[in-house]
Amino acid sequence: MSVLALLLAGPLQAWGASARFARRTTEHAPTKSGVLGLLAAAQGRERTDDLSDLAALRFGVRIDQRGTRIRDYQTAKHLDTGRSMPVSERFYLADAVFVAAVEGDDTLVNDLHRAVRNPVYLPYLGRRSCPPARPLDLGIHDGRTLEQVLKEEKWHAAGWYQRRLRDQPEVTLGLLIDAFPGDPGADSLRDLPLSFDPLHRRYALRGVRSDTVSVPNPCARRTTPPDHDPISALGGE
Amino acid sequence: MSRTIIDLHILQTVPPSNLNRDDTGTPKTAIYGGVRRARVSSQAWKRATRMAFNSLLPPEDLGVRTKRVAELLAERIRRLDNSIEEKEAWTLAAETIQAATGSKIEVPKRKAAAAKKSEDNPAPESSYLMFLSTRQLDGLAGLAVEGRADIKAFLKDKDTKKRAKEIADTRHSVDIALFGRMVADGADINVDAAAQVAHAISVHAVENESDYYTAVDDRNPDDETGAGMIGTVEFNSATLYRYAALDVDLLRKNLGEGLREDESVTEPLRRAVEAFVRGFVESLPTGKVNTFGNHTLPDAVIVKVRTSRPVSFASAFEEPVTVTEDSGHLRQASERLAAYIPDIERAYGVEDDTDTWVLRVGQSTEKLSGLGTEVALPDLVTAVGAAVAQRAADQ
Repeated sequence: MSVLALLLAGPLQAWGASARFARRTTEHAPTKSGVLGLLAAAQGRERTDDLSDLAALRFGVRIDQRGTRIRDYQTAKHLDTGRSMPVSERFYLADAVFVAAVEGDDTLVNDLHRAVRNPVYLPYLGRRSCPPARPLDLGIHDGRTLEQVLKEEKWHAAGWYQRRLRDQPEVTLGLLIDAFPGDPGADSLRDLPLSFDPLHRRYALRGVRSDTVSVPNPCARRTTPPDHDPISALGGE
Repeated sequence: MSRTIIDLHILQTVPPSNLNRDDTGTPKTAIYGGVRRARVSSQAWKRATRMAFNSLLPPEDLGVRTKRVAELLAERIRRLDNSIEEKEAWTLAAETIQAATGSKIEVPKRKAAAAKKSEDNPAPESSYLMFLSTRQLDGLAGLAVEGRADIKAFLKDKDTKKRAKEIADTRHSVDIALFGRMVADGADINVDAAAQVAHAISVHAVENESDYYTAVDDRNPDDETGAGMIGTVEFNSATLYRYAALDVDLLRKNLGEGLREDESVTEPLRRAVEAFVRGFVESLPTGKVNTFGNHTLPDAVIVKVRTSRPVSFASAFEEPVTVTEDSGHLRQASERLAAYIPDIERAYGVEDDTDTWVLRVGQSTEKLSGLGTEVALPDLVTAVGAAVAQRAADQ
């Protein structure tokens, strides 16, 4: 088993799990269907191709920088009649950073790694207008579990964000990981892609377990206070 | 197979303006690097680019996006054979489009009901916006005229039906090949867009401002003081970072599918790439442009031809640029890019195989001059087009 880790960072991202019609929402973290879609596209799979090998990968994501949800109001007009089309609302996550990881069979994970570095279809963060602003590839991790990789990967939040939390030598980050069957604390989300066929998209329910992990803050202030003993200046015993 | 991807990076300063506004009239914004930024949505700039194509490309390279495809096709059918009456042409058109795209073409219910009361004869329409190229329309018109005698039976034939589908799925117009097409119930003839356009964001923090205005009534009687009208317009001014990536291999596939054996895709490909570069660089969304007159051109353009994956430089501006006593947003943004680009390309080992062109204006962008070959726009467009055609011919 190997784990492929990806850095998902950009001014805008959008990870919809149940968005339909004119209101396109986003979850607060990348979805499994979104990330598998990115990987499948990188490999050059067509929308109608089989996904079962990808769907079988274990998936997890770490929230390195939460971001802000913003709403985009979008209008469209007929180019020839000038008539207005229904208004749509799109939601984006602005200013967010995530580490996503997939765990599975060595050959498949290695192949995905190659694909991410030489993608057939260009990658985007949930919506085509959201290109990644930093390289996606965080490398292959052999012989480690998904949980280990997500716990050991360094904190990828932006510099300003790390400095803002400089009072915390360690920061606590949220994790959302595929639950094991029968996990009692799991939430479920309709987010396991069975087919990206545009005529018949299908998703199954997926169990998601939330957890947290502490990682060191490279921008933290020194924790030991400087030596300061004003009384010593007065002399004495 | 060697890969070709173009990425375009633009710094453009716009004075007070409202290029792209939300439902309250406020210029669109985003948060990046913890501060508010001016934003122009990708859709707005893609539309501006597509409108620019009208003056850059001959009409036969372009498409029409409409629900009134039947009327459009009927006009062409009647041009081919002027003995066909309008109503017959509508039927021929509707049947042919239905066979070619799988989408229903019928008179909208509301119009049909209204027509019963009056003597009007409404034309059938598709229920979705359809995006067909001029060449595709010509092909379908020819097919419809050929099967005029009994159009239903003609299209039921397996081979004819296949021909109809092929016509709708080949020789895509340049704008469809670049920006894609979605026909909601004929997904087998969808085209995946070859161009990826990001939302433009300002390189610095922005506060939206509000202009309070009054208008004087010229024929105001003396005994009544005050304004004839008051209101506010919101605006901001920004130095924007604009980014787009173009998957040249996908563009080539979109343009080339269905070309005859003896036709080379190199020439259409070069034309499309040149139109995209020029159109994206020069175009400007028209929002409130008559109010603010914000007709600017980019201060700096960097174009790269890459061989593995596109690279956005948005991260260079994650920490917002600030104005100092001797340096404005544009100078600092240029300095950031000049330092960031070699840095990230070295870190990820992508610098060796990248052709780079730089178009820049004025002293503030001096730092960018070392990044690539310096050119003016016409030469930039030709050089990128030639590089792409060369790479396509080599394959």
